[in-house]
Amino acid sequence: MKSAALILTIVVGLAVVVLLSRALDARRTDTQARFAEEPLYVTPVAAKRLTLAFNGLAADWYWMRSLQYVGGKIVTYEDTHDGRIDFGWLGNLDLRLLPSLLRTSTTLDPQFMAPYEYGAMILPELNSDHAINLLNAGIAANPSAWRLYQHLGYVYWKRNDYQKASEVYTAGAKLPGAPPWMMAIGARMKAEGGARDAAREMYRHLYDSSNDDAVKHMVGNQLMRLDSLDERDAIRRVLKDFEVKSGRCVSSWREVFEGLRAAHLKIDQANGAPLDPSETPYELIKNGCDVDLDINTKVPIK
Amino acid sequence: MTDPTTTTTASATAEASIPRRAALLTLIAIARNAFREAVRDRVLYNLVLFVLLLIGGAIFLGELSAGQEAKIIIDLGLSAMLLFGVFIAIFVGVGLVYKEIERRTLYAILSKPVGRGQFLLGKYLGLCATLLVNVVVMGVGVSLALAYLDRGWNPLITKIWPAILLIYFELAIITSVALLFSSFSSPALSALLTFFVFVIGHFSGDLKALANSSSSGAARLLFRALYYLFPNFSNYSAITTASHGLVPDGSSIGLAVVYAIVYSSLVLAAATLIFSGRNFK
Repeated sequence: MKSAALILTIVVGLAVVVLLSRALDARRTDTQARFAEEPLYVTPVAAKRLTLAFNGLAADWYWMRSLQYVGGKIVTYEDTHDGRIDFGWLGNLDLRLLPSLLRTSTTLDPQFMAPYEYGAMILPELNSDHAINLLNAGIAANPSAWRLYQHLGYVYWKRNDYQKASEVYTAGAKLPGAPPWMMAIGARMKAEGGARDAAREMYRHLYDSSNDDAVKHMVGNQLMRLDSLDERDAIRRVLKDFEVKSGRCVSSWREVFEGLRAAHLKIDQANGAPLDPSETPYELIKNGCDVDLDINTKVPIK
Repeated sequence: MTDPTTTTTASATAEASIPRRAALLTLIAIARNAFREAVRDRVLYNLVLFVLLLIGGAIFLGELSAGQEAKIIIDLGLSAMLLFGVFIAIFVGVGLVYKEIERRTLYAILSKPVGRGQFLLGKYLGLCATLLVNVVVMGVGVSLALAYLDRGWNPLITKIWPAILLIYFELAIITSVALLFSSFSSPALSALLTFFVFVIGHFSGDLKALANSSSSGAARLLFRALYYLFPNFSNYSAITTASHGLVPDGSSIGLAVVYAIVYSSLVLAAATLIFSGRNFK
């Protein structure tokens, strides 16, 4: 009898707690949103001291918080702008806390490579100086990590500083364990830094050497973009040939079917339209005189 | 013909070894009882919580960490091992002596041919055995979680054990400090003081830096004395490096183990000194 009364008290108590929590939630103002962009008030060095022997775990927490921060911003942007965001548009997201989150994670655990790699990919879209500072700190803590030189070279390439990119790749190539292509890319950066093939080769190596799915996805998209740029050049040549021969632009893809096939482009059998690397048909624009990506394509615009 | 001198020496050695053997047996009996008491107090229940934490970590953190599951499993597992170990060392350690006084069982023990130092050392070894079981089971748990991640052998499994060994010896030092404080203070104060030593021990690098940067000679001497007085736990922090597959070199591990044994011995000696002077009448 006594036990039954106690169990009843626990059940009723839990129900009351749930009701009270809901009532409190309804009255609470969203302080989380108000302070979400507040700068980190614990400096990375102070965080390292405060975490005693648990700095590795704290670094993991800051790393996951970085991922959640970017992920949350992307989800909010896509919800409010009715569409998906491309890698090249990350600058629109106001990721102002990301540099300090990544810096805290790497200060807590300087050998933790994932935040450096992630920072090298994302931070140049916001401010390449943040990426350079992060990677230079990484190189100071891990002087024999050639991958950090690879990422730093990429950041310099992104800001069109091909001379510096070449120097960084060449310096990284001299480290023990660095693959031979580091030296080759260093030379290529110097000779033809802005060329599409140089970019493709660099992205391919980034893709192959990364273990991070998010980075692989971003780099894979950039490789698709480069392939698509080549394909659009080939399509434009076919369209130009048609225009020269017939004196008008094409009215449908069927009219240039043979030319597209001769250019080794993948073609949609249903309507004869060439397919982009994400298997979405290209779109004819300017009354059939030019080509562009379809609005539904997964190929990034920049 | 037997040499009478040799016979006399042999019998003297045998006579001396009997009390030594009896002392050892007493020590083992006290240690065994301390271990049993910890098990009876359900101290090892924390292992269930640890296993749940690891399973949760292994399953859910992969989704959040973008391919860093192994690192997070090691960081989480070894940090939890240290944290749970510190709590056990502090809260069980400070109660070991106090409980015996409170229950008045200490009078019965000390009325027998048991030295106070022997009593403290036995209690210490009993708790060290409890911590050893705890640490080994947790280490196996982390290894299994790593094996689960790779659905087979993971090279990091062998790399985490040196870090686990260092965690164990850090816990052994903390246990001795807890016993020292409990030999003259209340359990609450002892727990607080031991926790302070744990925190200061991780800041000992700063004490040395303060000593080097102080302009005053007295301050320099004070900080240097504190640096050597408090245990230097930075020698036992290998969790973060273990998560990257890096193992401290053998000589560093060996020296850290010797340091732990020497430091714990001197702390236990101090505890015995204080405990021997206490009047239980």
